[in-house]
Amino acid sequence: MIALPIVEAPAGPKVKAWRSLPHLHQEDGFAESVQGEFIPGASDRPGNASRRNFLQLLGASMALAGLAACRRPAEEVWPFADRPEELIPGVPLHYATAMPLRGSVQPLLIKSHDGRPTKAEPNPNHPTQAAGTSVFAQASILSLYDPDRSRTLRRAGSTAQWDDFLALCQRLERGDRRIVVMSEETSSPTAIAQRAQLMQRFANASWVTYRPAGRDNEALGLQSTFGQRLRPLYHFDQADVIVSLDADFLGPTSRYAGYAMPAFARGRRLSTPSDEMSRLYVAESTYTVTGAIADHRAPYAAADIGVLVNSLAAELGLIAPEFAQPSDWTTAIARDLQEAGSRSLVLAGEHQPLEVHALSMAINSALGAIGTTVTLVDPPEPQDDTDLASLTSEMQDGNVDVLLMLGVNPVYDAPPELDFASALSRVGDSVHLGMHVDETARVATWHVPQAHYLETWGDGRDPSGILSVTQPLIAPLYADAKSAIEVLGALASGEDQSGYALVRTTWQPLLNAPFEESWRRVLHDGFLAGSEFNAAEAPTRQPARAVRTESSATELVFRLDPTVLDGGFANNAWCQELPDPVTKIVWDNVAVMSPATAQELGVTAHYNKGRYDVDVIALTAGTQTVELPVWILPGHADRSIAVNLGYGRNLESDRPRRRTPIWDTGDLTDIYGQGALGTDIGRNVSVLRDAAGSGIRTDVQVTVTGRRYRIVTTQDHGVLNVSARPFVRMATLADYRANPAFALDYEAPTPGSDEKTRFEDYPTLWEDNHPDRSAAIRDSAYFRNQWGMVIDLNTCTGCNACIVACQAENNVQVVGKTEVGNGRELHWLRLDRYFITDDDAPLDANPQMAMQPMPCQHCENAPCESVCPVSATVHSPDGTNQMIYNRCIGTRYCANNCPYKVRRFNFFAWSKHIPVTVQMAQNPNVSVRSRGVMEKCSFCIQRVRGAQKQARLEARPLARDEVVTACQSACAAGAITFGDLNDNESSVAVQRRNPRSYTMLAELNVRPRVSYLARVRNPNPDLEPA
Amino acid sequence: MADTLTIAPPRKEAPLVTGNLGISEITQLVSYHTEKKPPSTWYLAFAISSTLLAMLMVMIGYLFWNGVGVWGNNNPVGWGWPIVNFVFWVGIGHAGTLISAILFLFRQRWRTAINRSAEAMTLFAVICALLFPTIHVGRVWVIYWTLPLPNQMEMWPQFKSPLLWDVFAVSVYFTVSLVFWYVGLIPDLGTLRDRARTAIRRKVTAFFALGWTGANRHWRNYEKTYLLLAALATPLVLSVHSVVSFDFAVSIVPGWHTTIFPPYFVAGAIFSGFAMVMTLLIIARKVYGIRNIITLDHLEKMAIIILVTGTMVGFAYITEFFIAWYSQVEYEQYAFLNRTTGPYAWAYWTMMSCNLLFPQFFWIKRLRRSIPFLFVTSIVVNVGMWFERFVITVISLHRDFLPSSWDYFNPTLVDVLTLVGSFGLFLTLFLIFLRFLPMVAMAEVKMVLPEADPHHYEEHEN
Repeated sequence: MIALPIVEAPAGPKVKAWRSLPHLHQEDGFAESVQGEFIPGASDRPGNASRRNFLQLLGASMALAGLAACRRPAEEVWPFADRPEELIPGVPLHYATAMPLRGSVQPLLIKSHDGRPTKAEPNPNHPTQAAGTSVFAQASILSLYDPDRSRTLRRAGSTAQWDDFLALCQRLERGDRRIVVMSEETSSPTAIAQRAQLMQRFANASWVTYRPAGRDNEALGLQSTFGQRLRPLYHFDQADVIVSLDADFLGPTSRYAGYAMPAFARGRRLSTPSDEMSRLYVAESTYTVTGAIADHRAPYAAADIGVLVNSLAAELGLIAPEFAQPSDWTTAIARDLQEAGSRSLVLAGEHQPLEVHALSMAINSALGAIGTTVTLVDPPEPQDDTDLASLTSEMQDGNVDVLLMLGVNPVYDAPPELDFASALSRVGDSVHLGMHVDETARVATWHVPQAHYLETWGDGRDPSGILSVTQPLIAPLYADAKSAIEVLGALASGEDQSGYALVRTTWQPLLNAPFEESWRRVLHDGFLAGSEFNAAEAPTRQPARAVRTESSATELVFRLDPTVLDGGFANNAWCQELPDPVTKIVWDNVAVMSPATAQELGVTAHYNKGRYDVDVIALTAGTQTVELPVWILPGHADRSIAVNLGYGRNLESDRPRRRTPIWDTGDLTDIYGQGALGTDIGRNVSVLRDAAGSGIRTDVQVTVTGRRYRIVTTQDHGVLNVSARPFVRMATLADYRANPAFALDYEAPTPGSDEKTRFEDYPTLWEDNHPDRSAAIRDSAYFRNQWGMVIDLNTCTGCNACIVACQAENNVQVVGKTEVGNGRELHWLRLDRYFITDDDAPLDANPQMAMQPMPCQHCENAPCESVCPVSATVHSPDGTNQMIYNRCIGTRYCANNCPYKVRRFNFFAWSKHIPVTVQMAQNPNVSVRSRGVMEKCSFCIQRVRGAQKQARLEARPLARDEVVTACQSACAAGAITFGDLNDNESSVAVQRRNPRSYTMLAELNVRPRVSYLARVRNPNPDLEPA
Repeated sequence: MADTLTIAPPRKEAPLVTGNLGISEITQLVSYHTEKKPPSTWYLAFAISSTLLAMLMVMIGYLFWNGVGVWGNNNPVGWGWPIVNFVFWVGIGHAGTLISAILFLFRQRWRTAINRSAEAMTLFAVICALLFPTIHVGRVWVIYWTLPLPNQMEMWPQFKSPLLWDVFAVSVYFTVSLVFWYVGLIPDLGTLRDRARTAIRRKVTAFFALGWTGANRHWRNYEKTYLLLAALATPLVLSVHSVVSFDFAVSIVPGWHTTIFPPYFVAGAIFSGFAMVMTLLIIARKVYGIRNIITLDHLEKMAIIILVTGTMVGFAYITEFFIAWYSQVEYEQYAFLNRTTGPYAWAYWTMMSCNLLFPQFFWIKRLRRSIPFLFVTSIVVNVGMWFERFVITVISLHRDFLPSSWDYFNPTLVDVLTLVGSFGLFLTLFLIFLRFLPMVAMAEVKMVLPEADPHHYEEHEN
């Protein structure tokens, strides 16, 4: 717990009672003299030993004489002698904070168990991001406990003290030093204020914002469209027609995912057949989750997106008609956009050049969408003083005295032509602040361990501008760790100021008086109401310019990785084991290409007994060559190769390599046993980028090396024949309106007495005396609630946030690449990804994709329960299927008999050797499973029981929709609903009555408690005549 | 004396014991092997099989230390080789009791030559079988929870689970087979006792012979008991493998959920059991020179049973396909299509050719009586039957309902060595049996000698 200085204690009556003058003045020795019952010496024996001491020694000698042979490691248990206020042991507390990510903050509520942050939840009161969290917000909990974090401040490779660094900052005052701060994108008002302070202190200081993914083309494009610096805010719920030009705006890496997903989902949710839904067109170079949920999707090479946007602009009359290359597709989109008018939205991908961004924003502007679907705001942060290229050349010339790198890792991911590492070695004092002793830390003169955002104070704005304070939940695990504002503050002021003081100073003018009250309100709420950006003055649009287009033989497209981002999460086991949402690859990065391109290159991804042995290609761009395994993805654009940044890290760890005797497989199965987790996983592709760090590179040579590499996925290829196996059911909007219950048409008649049952006399597989008819269950108080879940396939994008949330909530262990390859991953919730093609065109170049989250279905007639010889999996009175870990002997019969294959087995003792810090990340309310037991989704029973306990304590009935599962709370699209089916008005009961509702494998009569809402597509009738 | 009594009409049945062996010659021929130093072949075989047994112990130790992950089992394929091996060994453990009990009730007198060793083989096979479900569980240290032991929590096993039925079925089968085998041994133990030359040997055999004197009353009690035990064991022969098949049939996995399983498993078990008896006896009769007791006629009769049961099993395979097509259930149809054309098609076709095609050669009498061919076929049949269990267990599991969870199963070296090691256990026990106990039921063989029926009562009855 963090002791905060008490500011302005309420003034009480100022009177004092005293006994004597020495008491009043607290003279020396007075305090001791009043401790004892008698005055000092009066009750002591002559000599040193008091009677009490003598007896103590006597007793201790007797006891120790007998115990001399017994030794036991001395372990001290420290109770809370002074219990922190409000803390009840075992009852978690929630604190509002905000996670900085990609230049904005994500508001969060963090659950803290006895002082340990264990789980990120959305802040339900936040105006724009009340629903859902991202993969990275969930995984950031584990990053806090990363056992490979840097622990000590280093100077030239050896341990140093914070005071040494402070001394450096103070020395700089003398002389005209060239000082440059290289910061990650930040929205922190404190950092912005410190920047001003820095400029004031040093005449020759500069600020560079470093973006691992390259330039912010969106901002630059906007600047070229409107001639001024602006930032867009998209309102996906206001749009009827959305055109994504290679923009994965719903993907985990998107800057906007936090508010785009809820808004997009609002525009797609169908409660009744008469509801309207938006139409999404996606033209993209690789298959993304955004493409998967699109109504129309076309593969376009990233370099050809320019042609498409030109064509759209020309057909809309923005640019000269000769740029139009009309096709059915562009004509239909253009017409649709024109019809939707101001309710349309066009946006381009981050890696697209600024011209594409400029032109797509010009289209928005021409359609009148600015103000309805797009709001333009003034960015609060000042412009950079210089850019990376000129900074590097300055460094090469030895003109930079101090370079402060805040949370960035340019040695790893700066474009290779800049040769940043050698430039860095010519800097007088280079200071690196980072969570790990990484590539840059080893070259820099100074390395300061960075404090995690849950350890220090900070602040920032969410994309819509709402201010939040990043509030720490735990004191830094390592005493040397400092936050970016603390390091920057030391340089900017030469003084050592705590983050708390710095943030409070910045916030003084932002808050209404009385400051303390407003400050506490902000900390409590997690945001400052009313601080969102105001729309910029209606900017005037410059004339639209066509995008220069060139066709290339083969292009290379760089993206942030949906699981490890820019590499910042590469040492996070949850992220590494998280399957890529589309390829389902774990623990690797690959060169993704289309089947046709693969055929042209003569490379294959050979399926070999559950794993893939794939060909390795060498990609050469500029002076660099990187060898990468290929991956063949249907629906990928031809002549385009997609690669993900963030892999091939090289981190230092002081943890020793784990060695075990030959008969012990512990060293093979322990993912934490091989040094830093993220080191040497995949390849670093950022070295292939050009000097500007562009997202697309066209001058690439591809050679086939002839070698093969093993790739592990959680799901193999396979086309789903929907008519034979109707797991993902779909219809067009028109068909849905004509037949709202279309999902049930797929179903075989089931036995039983439902209204949809056609033949009641059909013998059921399951005996009549179901457990829920027994008195023991009927009389249980829990019988009152019957839990169920509904998953809306129309809004689920397959972004993976639910998987990581489940992992964090339920202590799901990580097993490593080899074991995933052996089919032993433990994720309780998996996201099934299917390609869907017509029966007549199985080799479609652009198949559809469907995502389906698959937790335990909690069957009422659970096939797993009846086969367990020891009753280790049983039905709870509230209708869920539960695992009793203590009772499980591990026959695995239940897993065999599960038609959904959602049960997971602990083949090894995966939780036995996890590092101590990672143990701190475990949720104390969920058993950590040992070797040899089965586990699976429990419907977050600990949350159900927690809510029931709370309700009982408050002597009230459980409120409607009070229980929220981990996956549900993480879902920004609101695709998951959980609740009590006995309550007719609960959200889940309402959703289950939705005509699109169906259950998986209903014909088995297992009666799942999870139902799915069938997906509805909204295709353009011009493109897809009914 | 034999010369003067040559009035008997020609026998309808070929003599069961050839070489004109007399009663004392049979006693000598069989007992002698338990008394003399075993042949060097025995030592060699024992060295090899006990090494394999030691390897099995090492593998089990490795498994217990590390966990079930040392095998190839994975998420869709929860049961891999251990369960395949279990069903395989239980199957082999069928022939013995079938020969002793059912053939006894059906008055198949030729069984006498082979029943002792077949029963011993049954016991050892069932020991191997019991080993696998025991070690395959994740937490072997609490395996006793599958037994209905009274406890303070009043926590009982779940009687709905076929695995629990297995526990009962196999342990009852083992117990009854052991008692049956032992009761059959009593007269022969008496013989061994009477022949014993050392005090220890006499004491031990006397203890186990339960005071057998060969008195009329003893024979009367013995034969009654034997008959009753045979009647008790007969339903068990059918029930054990039926219950084992319930492990699969009661589930809902496509390819497992099949009502044909009980008879099909029993037929397969008899099929593989006879093949194993044949493999062992072809070697034993040669090494121990008892070709006159275990004659070529015996082997031919076993070959006919193999032919019949093999054809039944093949018929079951084809019926499964018909039913899958007839059901019009996608999952069921795919499960069988996947067997023939999926990634494990090689295993399926190995099974088909070993179990259905190869035994068809036994329609030819010359092959039925060719020792080398019989030996090869008996091994081929057991390979095929092992693959049958592999096909049922692994192929059905690796691709079931949801294609998203489909995966592949790769056995590990530990899987392979454990299977090989279980043969070490089996052969070690069998070799110990050969060394210390009469491998042929002497008393029973003597009953089928012509001398046992000097007045041709049996013949007249026929």
